[in-house]
Amino acid sequence: MPSANGQSSGDGAAPRALDVSDLEVTFHRRGRRLPVLKGITMHIERGEAYGLVGESGCGKTTLAMAAMRYLAANGTIDAGRVLVDGQDVSELSEEALRKWRGGKVSMVYQDPTQALSPAMRIGDQLAEVYRYHEGTGKTEAIERARESLRRVAIPDPEATLHRYPFELSGGQQQRVVIAMALSINPQLLILDEPTTGLDATVEAEILDLIEELRGRINAAILLITHNLGLVARLCERVGVLYAGRLVEEGAAKQVFTDPRHPYTMGLLRCVPRFGMNKTDAALQTIPGTLPALGEPLKGCVYSARCPMAKPVCVRREPDLYAWPGDGGARGAAEAEALPPDPAAYSPHHANPVGEASRHVRCYFSPDVPEMPVMTPVLATSLEARGATEGNVLSIENVQRTFKDGRKKLTAVSDISLELKRGETFGLVGESGSGKTTLAKCVTGLIAPDSGTIEFEGGQLRPTAGRRSKDALRAIQMVFQNPDSTLNPSWSTRAILTRAVRKLGGADRASVRGKVDKLSADVRVEPRFLLQKPLDLSGGQKQRIAIARAFAGDPTLVICDEPASALDVSVQASILNLLVELQTNEHVSYVFISHDLAVVRYISDRIGVMYLAELIEVGAAAEVFNPPHHPYTEALLSSIPTLDFDDARQRIPLRGTMPSLSEPPSGCRFHTRCHRLLGDICREQEPPLQEAVSGHTYKCHIPPNELLVLQTETAAAAGRGSAADAAEPQSIGASDLSAPAEV
Amino acid sequence: MDETRSSLGPDPDLRAEGAQLSADPEMLEARVDAVATRATVAAQVDAAAAAEQRRQRRYLARALLRSPTFMVGMFILLFWVFMALFSTGITQNPTDVDPAASLQAPSGAHWFGTDDLGRDVFARTMAGARTVLIIAPAATILALLWGGIIGLVAGFWRGLTDEIIMRLVDVLLALPIIITSILVLSLLGKGTAIIIVTIGALFTPVVSRTVRAAVISEREREYVMAARLRGERSAFVMAREILPNITQPIIVEGTVRLGYAVFTAATLSFLGFGLAPPSPDWGLTISTQRVFLQIAPWTVLFPAVALASLVVAVNLITDGLGRVFAK
Amino acid sequence: MLRLIGRRLLLMIPTLILASVLIFALAEVLPGDVGRSILGPYATQEQVDALNTELGADKPLYERYWNWASGWVTGDWGESLLLKQPVFPVVMKGLGNSLLLAGFALAIIVPLSILLGVFAGLRRDSLLDRGITISSLSMTVIPEFVSGVVLLYVFAVALKWLPVTAMPPDGSPFVYRFYYLILPAIPLMFLELGYIARMARAGTVQVMEMPFIRTAVLKGLPRRRIIFGHLLRNAMVPTVTVIGSQIGWLIGGLVVIETLFVYPGIGKLMVDAALTHDIPMLEAAVLIVAIIYMVSNLFADIIVALLNPRIRKGA
Repeated sequence: MPSANGQSSGDGAAPRALDVSDLEVTFHRRGRRLPVLKGITMHIERGEAYGLVGESGCGKTTLAMAAMRYLAANGTIDAGRVLVDGQDVSELSEEALRKWRGGKVSMVYQDPTQALSPAMRIGDQLAEVYRYHEGTGKTEAIERARESLRRVAIPDPEATLHRYPFELSGGQQQRVVIAMALSINPQLLILDEPTTGLDATVEAEILDLIEELRGRINAAILLITHNLGLVARLCERVGVLYAGRLVEEGAAKQVFTDPRHPYTMGLLRCVPRFGMNKTDAALQTIPGTLPALGEPLKGCVYSARCPMAKPVCVRREPDLYAWPGDGGARGAAEAEALPPDPAAYSPHHANPVGEASRHVRCYFSPDVPEMPVMTPVLATSLEARGATEGNVLSIENVQRTFKDGRKKLTAVSDISLELKRGETFGLVGESGSGKTTLAKCVTGLIAPDSGTIEFEGGQLRPTAGRRSKDALRAIQMVFQNPDSTLNPSWSTRAILTRAVRKLGGADRASVRGKVDKLSADVRVEPRFLLQKPLDLSGGQKQRIAIARAFAGDPTLVICDEPASALDVSVQASILNLLVELQTNEHVSYVFISHDLAVVRYISDRIGVMYLAELIEVGAAAEVFNPPHHPYTEALLSSIPTLDFDDARQRIPLRGTMPSLSEPPSGCRFHTRCHRLLGDICREQEPPLQEAVSGHTYKCHIPPNELLVLQTETAAAAGRGSAADAAEPQSIGASDLSAPAEV
Repeated sequence: MDETRSSLGPDPDLRAEGAQLSADPEMLEARVDAVATRATVAAQVDAAAAAEQRRQRRYLARALLRSPTFMVGMFILLFWVFMALFSTGITQNPTDVDPAASLQAPSGAHWFGTDDLGRDVFARTMAGARTVLIIAPAATILALLWGGIIGLVAGFWRGLTDEIIMRLVDVLLALPIIITSILVLSLLGKGTAIIIVTIGALFTPVVSRTVRAAVISEREREYVMAARLRGERSAFVMAREILPNITQPIIVEGTVRLGYAVFTAATLSFLGFGLAPPSPDWGLTISTQRVFLQIAPWTVLFPAVALASLVVAVNLITDGLGRVFAK
Repeated sequence: MLRLIGRRLLLMIPTLILASVLIFALAEVLPGDVGRSILGPYATQEQVDALNTELGADKPLYERYWNWASGWVTGDWGESLLLKQPVFPVVMKGLGNSLLLAGFALAIIVPLSILLGVFAGLRRDSLLDRGITISSLSMTVIPEFVSGVVLLYVFAVALKWLPVTAMPPDGSPFVYRFYYLILPAIPLMFLELGYIARMARAGTVQVMEMPFIRTAVLKGLPRRRIIFGHLLRNAMVPTVTVIGSQIGWLIGGLVVIETLFVYPGIGKLMVDAALTHDIPMLEAAVLIVAIIYMVSNLFADIIVALLNPRIRKGA
């Protein structure tokens, strides 16, 4: 890939795009020094793409801001240097710094809807970069702004110039931000979580754009993300950051296929691989939580959470060693003898960081592939969970419309589905597709306009306030946002006690026992019951929220993105907990998520929603394989995976999501469909086709034809079958299914 | 099923206890024992929770003690509260008339001089806080009470109730408070109780608007939905779930209103719609004595400065509270 | 944009009707017997009845309201009980005087307070910021008759720089009036300055923390461009709204200042009417104040819409 970026990377004389050495950044809060970055040394060659990964709070963004010389007022650089294009950032004068920001280095931000000035036309916002960097005149600056919009392939750039940010979709706004960042041909482009918060198809669209632009611009890229798949797709090299330390660095493919730091290994193991299901393998979790800023750490920063930690790891922090060292692998017994043999692991100062070099901050790198596997709770089969007992829930023709001024938005349109005891029904779709509204109709938080919801044979009343105590007890919900799911002024115990009392209907003495049992079931230590939610971590809050939902031994729990606001390691433990509770209690779930891999992992059956309609329903594996709805096909193709030989053909969706107030005629998906047949799609509502028994989708193309079309596409892309064939091969399936040892 | 579940729990003691209870319901003694133990544990747990709460309150208190604006404001306010309560025993009688000594300049005998009727200005200034310090807090409490209830109901129920209430609030706010109170007081007559009720009623719309805004942002939170899924009644959700989380904006609003209540009460006195002479009330004094501004400025300036110090004090407290809460 | 203004104007009508009902209720229903409340406890019942008949107060309520409201719309505002002359010209003259004073004060307050507020907000938590915040806060909360009396003493009595009265002698040129209005205007400025400055500061601080300001900085714009191009426009939205709603507070201030300086404005008119129970005069003056308040809020909304394209485009 570097070859695509021209001559610069081969030219030894030209300075590197980014060169960071021994960087120490500290925040000061109430007289305390909180080190955020500890001795970071890394570089990015000209034209190279470098991914920086790690969970939130590891210092990724701080590193970017240090390169921009834009630390928060209480942050200081205590030691080390940051060179961009050979220039020491700290030595720039105010005016030079101004010209240099946006000129030499520029940035793309996480939330595009917040990044643009709300009251200024897009054209003016783009033009001002030229005007203040190159002194371009007004008309010429607008002309160049138009050009830059063309470069990022915005539909109708002329009209976009005159629009305000709120008139553009999130994806278009991010295109504008990217256009702005590339205005003055920067040497370094920093992408700070550029697709987080965007829908899967929009994310894919932005990734395609970045990938495509890489061939045309000569900027080096620093990609900051928690999504390893993004790095695998875009970057040549990757650095893994943990608690302000670079713990592993190397070529992205090597690091992800053969991780040599326990943290990297942990990160790779705790995300469900594409196509993985709860009955095949349990997710690995990383025990403990990220250290808080300024928390004193002994020895290796990761030792407190590392399943391989030995006494030596706590005694002395390992250096960033070059890997592989010429000594080769070494056993644990050998490593006990400190200090480590310099012949086997040469500290990186002796071996300058180079293009091909690989570094790991661990004494036991050779043993990392054999890192022990934990938490072996596997989901039992659907039958064992009581699925044979018949339907728990059946929804028929549910419809819900909201009024927005004079417009009518149909958020849920004529949806029917049913759910068995002990079954998990996964609901996927992009934001605004109606997933949450449907869930709220089931729980009674929103009353449907029409249609019936039957629960255990009886019809449910439309709102929670009118439902019987028994119905309330039996249907509960776990919400998305851990910060608002618990009442901040109640103690955790009070929250659970109230839930048990209202839902469990027990007397005073047994309430306490029940609360203790609930908290034990969700693995929250009793001491946390005294705390208020403010003092709990995100994972703990979500565990308490789950315990609250289970207070009355429910039959059905609606999980609305229960883990998506959490870091990946915590997410895995929450998913495991849900699986475990289901195995024990035979509870049914409706599981809503925008993360397809997660839904695939946890669900028995999956429903795909698009514009308020359920367009496809079927067993999880079947929905993920052809023949399936063209929208599902496109969604699946858009997910970045860790598969380096990934040759799936990405299917870009045309245009933007239509408005719910004016859904397209005929098939709702026809405006964006890549398999559009013609007028029939525009004019007639598609029939429900049955691919196999229990797997239906709404499309005019019959299953046998669709199967041919979709396997052809996959075959053209050089693969036997599409999506689901992306087996977890990169990290060795043997690791994941290895027997439990702990 | 119970077996599988408890085997996953991390705490073997807990498991044992649970198993014992469910397995041997006849073993009354053991059960009583277990309940007793649990009661002790419960007491300890509650004590710990209380300690946690105290710790948080202490933190707030410390932050307030460190805030110079809050402390200065508090000092001045307490001074005036003290004077309102005890000045009678310290100073001369504020209503003692001495026609022979009218409009005397400040001296050793009369620190702040005397007014047109020969009354001691120092005594009147010190006593002048009394009326305002009764009217303003009482009116504020009324406004918080009414506005709090209206705001909670409007914000929680939304819909038509909210629409009607907020339209009325808009209308009430369209009339400047001073003008509406003049209208009411001129026709209903004077008296402390009437003034308190009038100011309280006229501040109610503003308070209810603040409370409503806080409720609206709070009611969409997921813990409120969780309460609805438990089948809690609206009154419970409003009073126990939402109200504790909006106390800070209510407290800040309360101190802001207190400042304005002092302001309004003094202004009404000044305009002649408050208390009647010979009350030493500051606003009234400034109003009646201002004709002597050119020949005996002390009669007006001392009560004016006193009044200014009180309102500034209340607002320094507001500022300090707001800053500490914002952290 | 025009549709927005039209809609807001239409929305004003029910508010105005409600306000008039409220004023009517406060003035004529709340006291029970109108004649008695005007004449006081010592008048004979015959006198009270005669007055009630004269005022039409013996008719049913809705008829009285209708007569009053319809008369108001057609410019027949009734006759002052005290002056025995039509209310309309008296109120209009007072209104003119008051608008002159208020306009004079506002012309200074608005730019000055915004300047101070933005300045403080940009140098957040500096000594200057604290100074501006605390001093403007203190000025705002001191009742205007207190600051008025002190200023009057210092500048008119002790220093003799400014006149004690607010109206020049008859026959003086018009510009003289501003010289006489300086002293009454200062307490009004105090009243509003701190409040608006605080709002401008808060808006500035809030917008400075928005991600789009970071974008503007990191795309290499000069500081003045960030402030004038990106910051002010967004930071001024809450300030403008507040200025609109503060007009009511300013009118309340006028009541006091006009009483203190014996200035023949609408505030003084209202106080006198209230003290003498001149109900037709009082009702008319209060209603006109309510209208002015609503109109100023409308103006604020229009300016906000101009600042915010989202509202302007009706999204």
